[in-house]
Amino acid sequence: MATSDETDDRVGETYRRRAGARVRNATRQVKRAARPVWDRVRFARQDVTAATPTLPRVAYLFIAPFFILFGLFLAFPVFYTVYLSFFEYQGVGEGSLFWVDLGPLYVEIPQIAQLSFIGLGNYARLLGNDLFWQSMFNTSYILAIQVPLMIGLALALALALNASFMRLKGVFRTAIALPVSANLVAYSTVFLLLFNEQLGFLNYVLAGVGVGPVPWLTDAFWARNTIIAAVTWRWTGYNMIILLAGLQTIPQQLYEAAEIDGASRWEKFRYVTLPQLKPVLLFVVVLSTIGTFKLFAEPYVITGGGPTNSTITIVQYIYRQAFVNFNLGYASALTVVFVAIVSVFSIVQIKIGGED
Amino acid sequence: MTGINITQLDKVYDSGTENVVAVEDLSVEIDHGEFLVLVGPSGCGKSTTLRCLAGLEDVTDGSIRFGDTDVTDRRASERDVAMVFQNYALYPHMTVRGNIGFGLKLSTKLTGDEIEEKVESVAEMLGISELLDEKPKALSGGQQQRVALGRAIVREPSVFLMDEPLSNLDAKLRSDMRTELQELQADLDVTTVYVTHDQTEAMAMGDRIAVMDGGVLQQVGSPEEVYRSPVNQFVADFIGSPSINLFTADVEGDTLRGPGGFAYELDDPEPVGERSRVRVGIRPEDITVVDAGRNAADVTVVEPMGNENFLYMEMGDHELTARVRPAVRPAEETEVSFDFDEAALYLFDAETGDALKTKTDAVDTAVVGTAEN
Repeated sequence: MATSDETDDRVGETYRRRAGARVRNATRQVKRAARPVWDRVRFARQDVTAATPTLPRVAYLFIAPFFILFGLFLAFPVFYTVYLSFFEYQGVGEGSLFWVDLGPLYVEIPQIAQLSFIGLGNYARLLGNDLFWQSMFNTSYILAIQVPLMIGLALALALALNASFMRLKGVFRTAIALPVSANLVAYSTVFLLLFNEQLGFLNYVLAGVGVGPVPWLTDAFWARNTIIAAVTWRWTGYNMIILLAGLQTIPQQLYEAAEIDGASRWEKFRYVTLPQLKPVLLFVVVLSTIGTFKLFAEPYVITGGGPTNSTITIVQYIYRQAFVNFNLGYASALTVVFVAIVSVFSIVQIKIGGED
Repeated sequence: MTGINITQLDKVYDSGTENVVAVEDLSVEIDHGEFLVLVGPSGCGKSTTLRCLAGLEDVTDGSIRFGDTDVTDRRASERDVAMVFQNYALYPHMTVRGNIGFGLKLSTKLTGDEIEEKVESVAEMLGISELLDEKPKALSGGQQQRVALGRAIVREPSVFLMDEPLSNLDAKLRSDMRTELQELQADLDVTTVYVTHDQTEAMAMGDRIAVMDGGVLQQVGSPEEVYRSPVNQFVADFIGSPSINLFTADVEGDTLRGPGGFAYELDDPEPVGERSRVRVGIRPEDITVVDAGRNAADVTVVEPMGNENFLYMEMGDHELTARVRPAVRPAEETEVSFDFDEAALYLFDAETGDALKTKTDAVDTAVVGTAEN
């Protein structure tokens, strides 16, 4: 049948016409005009592929850069930190750790540091150290208030922005998420100025309504709250965006089904929104917990850990030990403990929130 | 007794810059226990109408009454309706048991035991008892469909609303569920409004069919009525598979002259009136291939279906489809003569599309009788 193609074409054409798809044909025409160029590019690529000889195991070469960089900058420091935590640091290393002499090629790995082995001495030391416990307490205190506060706020804002009656959604979304782009030190400095006891804008406003100056930075209680306010300001928008994206993936029909089932606004939130948002919420909680655990820049800039170490965080304590006092071994032990605690926290959260 | 009375329903979406009329001046009365199918192409307003009935959309104008109660301004939960959605809309984190019982838990004062009992009896009716403790994602499409039905049935609503509930199922399952759904509806005797874009489904399931196009109700009638006596060309074209053959013909005296030399002398030219052009409609099943007929067409494709053959033909530049006995199997690329009864002929106004003449041939009751077996 010489004309079977033609026949098929005609039959196909009829179906297309019946589907009313003339518009599609028109756009196809336009695309067709640009086709020869792309065809030539495609043919050239195919020719190159065909002409290139296949090297055995070339794939390993392609994935090697990742493993080299990962090993050098991630795996090695991690293991070296654990290693260091069993030693006392005594100074910069001298001499070689080992060398390879291959005639023309001489490779020498210098000793990184002078260390003396003290076993679990660093761990014993941190358990008996008041400042360690103080910094743990400060961090936990800030965490316990800041994370629920911020996520509650972020969820409320996300729900408001997701509501159908809301106008100017884009403007609010951008405005609320904008603090994320603020430089850590810059925004901390702004908070430092705003919350200054004598010259700060906040106390100026409070004085305007007849409230005496609040010792934002010099009182232990207020200093912690100032840090909480700063961190919340910076990160609420970020979490709101993630939650908003999560809210938008919830199928509208579930709400309609719930509406017909007689669900009230609260019941829709309780039985549709929350369970549907659970994975996203879990992600946000875990991420925020880790983030706040790692808190450093804000107390460093705003309170300097004071007054009298009442806002010093665990990471700030590690920093002091490592880079001010050069107790690298002790700081490594602190880091190991810190990572262990954060990991346990995250695992517990995922276990609790992650079933099904 | 809950019939539905829709009076002059308008639904206009206000998008700020322009108003989109989704449903215009729709009035229809649905009897208690009736199965009404709303059918039409995408965007014809059938789903919007259903959503207005459900209370998921506000009505712009007009009124909706369930029985003697005006429900126009009532919330969905206060209308005593149950709805089955196209994608089932099961609550993913709840078990089948939880899904079916959810509505009872929220909107009735039944005790936990009573709810349990109802859920179990409905599950048994639908044959999903062993799935009660599964989550929806562990179920197949057909099973999810049953759970969605169960969720609707357990509420014992006065009205069922179904929005393309079968269109996510594969063909075999769809026709099984079609039958099952009809039996279920007949047993429960609940007024049902069912939306579909599939005219076969509409014909098969509906006690009556409401054909919609462009937000306007075209015709309401029994499947046979809309098939045999469509009010206009749109209904004639939409109902029936394969579609009716339609072409424009010039009127010369009593003779209709169409594309490709088509000519037909009307025995009764009265419906044509003074018109110089009409649209001619012939159902594929009314075309008979004969040795010597008044008209001829070129066969391009023959599709053997086993129990019948579809002939795709060309009459001039016009496509013509015929549905013939399996024995009639002309070679492709040959010319065949065809004929049809004037009683089977449809004529429509060339400008407005209104029906001038529809099928008047007698229904072969003997065939209907044997089909029962």
